[in-house]
Amino acid sequence: MTAPLMSSGALSPDYSLLFALLIGIGFGFFLERAGFGSARKLVAQFYLTDLSVFKVMFTALVTAMVGVIFLNRIGFLDVGELPLIGTYLLPMVVGGLILGSGFVIGGY
Amino acid sequence: MSRESGIGSAAEARPGAYMNPYLAGIGIGLVLLAAFVIAGRGVGASGAFASVVSFVVNLVAPGHAADNPFYQKYLSRASNPFKDWLFVEVIGVMIGGFLSGYFARRVAKTIERGPNITDQKRLVLAFVGGVLVSFGAQFARGCTSGQSITGGALLNLGSWAFTMSVFAGAYGTAYFVRREWK
Repeated sequence: MTAPLMSSGALSPDYSLLFALLIGIGFGFFLERAGFGSARKLVAQFYLTDLSVFKVMFTALVTAMVGVIFLNRIGFLDVGELPLIGTYLLPMVVGGLILGSGFVIGGY
Repeated sequence: MSRESGIGSAAEARPGAYMNPYLAGIGIGLVLLAAFVIAGRGVGASGAFASVVSFVVNLVAPGHAADNPFYQKYLSRASNPFKDWLFVEVIGVMIGGFLSGYFARRVAKTIERGPNITDQKRLVLAFVGGVLVSFGAQFARGCTSGQSITGGALLNLGSWAFTMSVFAGAYGTAYFVRREWK
């Protein structure tokens, strides 16, 4: 397994912050392209007038998921190195409800 | 990329159309996959704010920060926020968002709101919403980036429970703030 490139040593961790910047630029670019720079477009999801949040989010999930499975199958990406957050159902559900209500109140 | 965007077509001032949501989703998915492959980590946002808060608390009240495991978790990662992976990534998000908006001629100074609410009320609600979002994100160990997108793509059980709760919370609250947006 050669990836993740930084934990396998294929890429020096010295460049870690440079890639953090580049990955952030890519993420921000596509978020804005999708219209998520607009609070009204974001909250339209919750009035069922524009389902972009749903479409973008789940397309992104499926794309990354298929990529991870494929790269793991061909022996390139070690999924054991990827970040898994432990399951704490109660705080995650309560935190999600609070964040969700803040989402539509603040338009974030 | 939208047909109407790009520097070459800047003659008219009309903002460019948004990208097809499925294409934008594929774009975000590929960025996330690149993050997994290169750095072995996903995208995030709320952690960057927690990192800055920890840094500032440590600056003004080092004794308090030293006794607090929450602040210590972030302080032990990097000596200052500019060396923190997530903080730098969020700076990148701002740059990327600005570039996209600039090329699509969407950069404008405005307060987005519905026609039935004042700017002032909208800003107060934005602040209240921001407090709830950041509190909820710390409670749940992540936000829509770190939990829903990163954890969701890895089929993390907690991340999916979180994501469903975010939608439930937002749909449940939407009716009560409809005058803010409509």
